[in-house]
Amino acid sequence: MNLRDLVILVADASSYMTMLIHSMLRAFGANKVCEVRSSLQVLQVLSSQRVDILLCDARLPSLGGLKLTRAIRGRVDNEHRTLPIVMMSADSSEVMIKQARDAGANMVIAKPLSPASLYDRLSWVAFHPRKFVDTETYFGPDRRFKIEGYPNGVGRRKGDKVLEVAQESGPALAQGDIDNLFSAVRTGQD
Amino acid sequence: MPRRSHPDARVFAVDTRFQKMARREGGVPREQAIERAQTEVEKAGPSFDEWLKDGLQNLQRLVAEAGPAESGWIESVNAQSRQLRDSSGTLGFQLLAFIADSLCDMLDSIETGADCDMESIVCHVDALKLAQRKSYRRLKPEQVPELTEGLRRVVKRIAS
Repeated sequence: MNLRDLVILVADASSYMTMLIHSMLRAFGANKVCEVRSSLQVLQVLSSQRVDILLCDARLPSLGGLKLTRAIRGRVDNEHRTLPIVMMSADSSEVMIKQARDAGANMVIAKPLSPASLYDRLSWVAFHPRKFVDTETYFGPDRRFKIEGYPNGVGRRKGDKVLEVAQESGPALAQGDIDNLFSAVRTGQD
Repeated sequence: MPRRSHPDARVFAVDTRFQKMARREGGVPREQAIERAQTEVEKAGPSFDEWLKDGLQNLQRLVAEAGPAESGWIESVNAQSRQLRDSSGTLGFQLLAFIADSLCDMLDSIETGADCDMESIVCHVDALKLAQRKSYRRLKPEQVPELTEGLRRVVKRIAS
């Protein structure tokens, strides 16, 4: 996997955590890593520059990673609408993974992170592109997939399993809310 | 149960810049990348002492100054606890990560309506201060069963 010249946006409330992730990515060969601490900062960066992949904490203030993902996926005129999004979460329960997937995340990575798990999930996103699905209630990577296993079994957690696909429950963030978020970013509100 | 195809679904292929660029030749081989990253994480270890000290002081201050009557303080304490849990776990300090995780579980329960028991919160902060010590830092939760079982019982009581 070659991460050189790819813009990687790391979003986590903890400066120490983003520093650790940044150092791992640098070791993987990345040379363009941005760090932010809030969901509005994520939207500000996405509005002002090209980003190639987002690593986002599920509890990122103030929206949280799920709402943020829905906001990115929900905006029709957003050039980052198909941005690969990797959700980082200390809660690796099946419920959480379903929620992340239904919000439109490409992949969930469990915290605490290890270099192997981070490398393998980034690699999975890079080498296993999924089609996108656009319906009235969902925009994001096709949720019908399963991971057959990471290289050498490394990075695989005891809890990793094939997931049942959830029933659609309608959009969790109204289009008006999404528009307001982007409007706030444009006017510089935090 | 498998999802039925949505009648109006538009399905299309996306090959993002990330995917195209990451597949280029010339990247760092996996084993080398992971080894280098592990070395980088280990190098970050010494700076963790200072960060942990500040983080625990901040947590202690938040708990001492705030009270159940003030809104939002649980969220602040929970956010600080999550930072301690995530960083400790990533650096391999399992006991610290376990205690911080236990505190997060309890605060999550309180945020969703469980009774706020200050004594239990203070008990967790004291446990974190103990685990911060160099002599405890590298211990695993199973090496201090009285402590870990005690915290588990506290969290179970709050959540029930």
